[in-house]
Amino acid sequence: MASTALLRRVLALPPPLRRSVYSSANSHNGAREPDIYDVVCIGGGPVGLSFVSALRSHPSTRLLRVALIDSQDLSTSRTTDDTETYSNRCSSLTPASLRFLNQIGAWEKVKRDRAQPYHAMDVWDGVSGSKIHFDSVDQQQTGLLDAVAEMIPGSRFQASRRKYEMEDAVVATMCENSNTTSALLQRLHDLSAEQLGTQSELKMLDKTRVDSIDLGSEPKDEMLLDLSQWAIVSTSHGQLAARLLVGADGANSPVRRFADIPSPGWDYNQHGVVATLHVDRQLTVEDLRTAYQRFLPTGPVALLPLPGNKASLVWSTTPQHAAKLKTLSSTDFIAAINAAFRLMPVDIGYMLSSTSSTNPTDELAWRGTATPASSTGLPRNFPRVEAVQEGSIASFPLRMRHASTYTGHRIALIGDAAHTIHPLAGQGLNLGLADAQSLAHQIAYGVDHGMDVGSCWTLDGYNNDRWAKNNAVIGVVDKLSKIYGVSSGPVVWGRSVGVEVLERLGGLKGWVMGAAAGMK
Amino acid sequence: MNKSASLRTFRHLLALPQPLRQRTFSILNRPPPNYPGHVPLTLAERGALAVGSAFGSLRNPHRHDLIAALGEATAKPYFISRLRTAMLANPTGRRILRDRPRITSQTMSLEKLRQLPESTVGRAYAAWLDREGVTPDTRDQVRYIDDPEEAYVMQRYRETHDFTHAITGLPVIIEGELAVKAFEFANTLLPMTALSLVAVVRLKAAERKRFFETYLPWAVGNGLKAEEVINVYWEEELETDVEVLRARLGIEIPPDLREIRKTLRDKNKAAKAARDARERLGAATGV
Repeated sequence: MASTALLRRVLALPPPLRRSVYSSANSHNGAREPDIYDVVCIGGGPVGLSFVSALRSHPSTRLLRVALIDSQDLSTSRTTDDTETYSNRCSSLTPASLRFLNQIGAWEKVKRDRAQPYHAMDVWDGVSGSKIHFDSVDQQQTGLLDAVAEMIPGSRFQASRRKYEMEDAVVATMCENSNTTSALLQRLHDLSAEQLGTQSELKMLDKTRVDSIDLGSEPKDEMLLDLSQWAIVSTSHGQLAARLLVGADGANSPVRRFADIPSPGWDYNQHGVVATLHVDRQLTVEDLRTAYQRFLPTGPVALLPLPGNKASLVWSTTPQHAAKLKTLSSTDFIAAINAAFRLMPVDIGYMLSSTSSTNPTDELAWRGTATPASSTGLPRNFPRVEAVQEGSIASFPLRMRHASTYTGHRIALIGDAAHTIHPLAGQGLNLGLADAQSLAHQIAYGVDHGMDVGSCWTLDGYNNDRWAKNNAVIGVVDKLSKIYGVSSGPVVWGRSVGVEVLERLGGLKGWVMGAAAGMK
Repeated sequence: MNKSASLRTFRHLLALPQPLRQRTFSILNRPPPNYPGHVPLTLAERGALAVGSAFGSLRNPHRHDLIAALGEATAKPYFISRLRTAMLANPTGRRILRDRPRITSQTMSLEKLRQLPESTVGRAYAAWLDREGVTPDTRDQVRYIDDPEEAYVMQRYRETHDFTHAITGLPVIIEGELAVKAFEFANTLLPMTALSLVAVVRLKAAERKRFFETYLPWAVGNGLKAEEVINVYWEEELETDVEVLRARLGIEIPPDLREIRKTLRDKNKAAKAARDARERLGAATGV
């Protein structure tokens, strides 16, 4: 009698409380059960945070029980307000990534005066000087007749006027990684404020190291929960059982290792040198900005615009050259950067070789006068680098990895855990954000259709959507880096002819830009 | 009637967009020179110069100005750039490009060179100039290469050609020049040096045999094996021992051509004299 009355009272409780009574009643017997979560995301970088934000902002997945684990302190990744210093870890966000960040409500939290949209790209060959100019003009849909007419020399004047009449002429936006992550954290904080104290509160476990990931143990009898097919994450804050374990934990992903997913690939024998530079031109918000990239045989060097007179450098070069660059004084480093864009490859190699005893500044002064800009393909508006920000020179090794599959039983990989790519096309973070968007979309679909979000019925859709696209982009970028790694011979001639032809075919160039911008 | 037609055509031409308009007037719209004495040429002009100077210098190998023009017309697009890159990749070559030394009778004082010790490069150079009866001033100025630095590389190659003669001991006669040109082709890859080997047809049968048996194998073997001779800073090597320099560069000295020719000439003269004496004797004795 008493038990039925108790049961009726328990059944009359609102569902969240009812569930907590049940689970607490269950957890009385036996050892401490792991905390059960619908989604556990390991990794609090931009990709992991955007994935969790997407889950929290979508009405279907808003009430899922989600945990986010990261070993860094997430509350301190706030950007400074100092307009004179910019972090050397910047990413180029494509319009598709910006649309995603807008959709999840994070882009409005970004400090917009520290983000720099750019409107054109100048890319040229360091050996032959053949160049290509990417512009928003090419992305406008024009007919075949217009494409033929554009090939007549002198006729693109009308087309270039259309650029100024376009609404959104942005090719991509440069944004510091810390700016993006702090905006995402702010958004998560605002979303959590609405659901404080409920079951579906976001569990943010920062400063937490993952000790191990194992499958659950076999249950002692039939009545207990069988978590033997579930991933149990052991941390210093206790154990978490994940209905779906998402690995957003970087290139050496422990989640990927736990899932035994192989990640074949190769090292590029190149190091990416990054720095924040000051150029000689002070530009305002209204000015049209250009990103520059020169393909040297040792690797591409890129100058990406930041607000004001700042720019971000990404130079992929041999490990020996990278080591030499980091030992140079500020003035010599600046001379080496200017040389990388203006001088012939033999002069750059001589300047950075370990045996050369000459001063880079003197070498640049001499060789700069002997190397006319028309012979190297230097764009006319290319600025001069004047200074480098203190302490912003760093380097990291470059490699290519692609996981054989992105999903396993109750496992999914997004971002660098799934793929690592050469930075020459600025696609790394954008592919990761697209992964996060796709996985969140699949989980919403699964929840709407009553599926178990960790089962292959939900996760296969994510794999099908993203794996082939990422493979294509990684493959193309890898082949580009190999084609431009050749310094003489027929390959140089072939690629120069290809670039010259592509420069004149506006429609094809527009398609390439669309593919790089992540348009569906 | 003619005048109005041409006026109409002229107006049509002026109405073209600027890039096309520039193209129709290219020969009359020559760009300004990049250095004193520079003559910019269009591709067709350069091709005609190459063909004309090739045949002209084959007919008369003493036309050194045609050989020079052939060299300049065929050096672009790749070969002179490759030579300049080879100089830039070498520390001494870079110093030469920075200092841009010139070899003329003012900068190379022959009196001072003649007083140097017997086995030095400078003495060998002076001795060779005296033996062959030439001076350093016979080299033409480079005119048809557009980039000033590449023009200097061509000029330097021309001015140091005599030094190559001096340290290999080859004479100015056609046979000697062809041997040096073959060596230079294997060493510098300039097309003009390979094209001048066509002058082999002008050699006598015995000379041609000697060239293909001895001098061509020597030239190709040594040219490929040796260091780039363009990277030698000759002005600093004047007091170096010739043997030491040859060893450093990896060049072996070929058989002395003038000696071989003299010996052969003397032998032929002796044989001819003996034959003439026998005939006169036979005529006298009626045998």
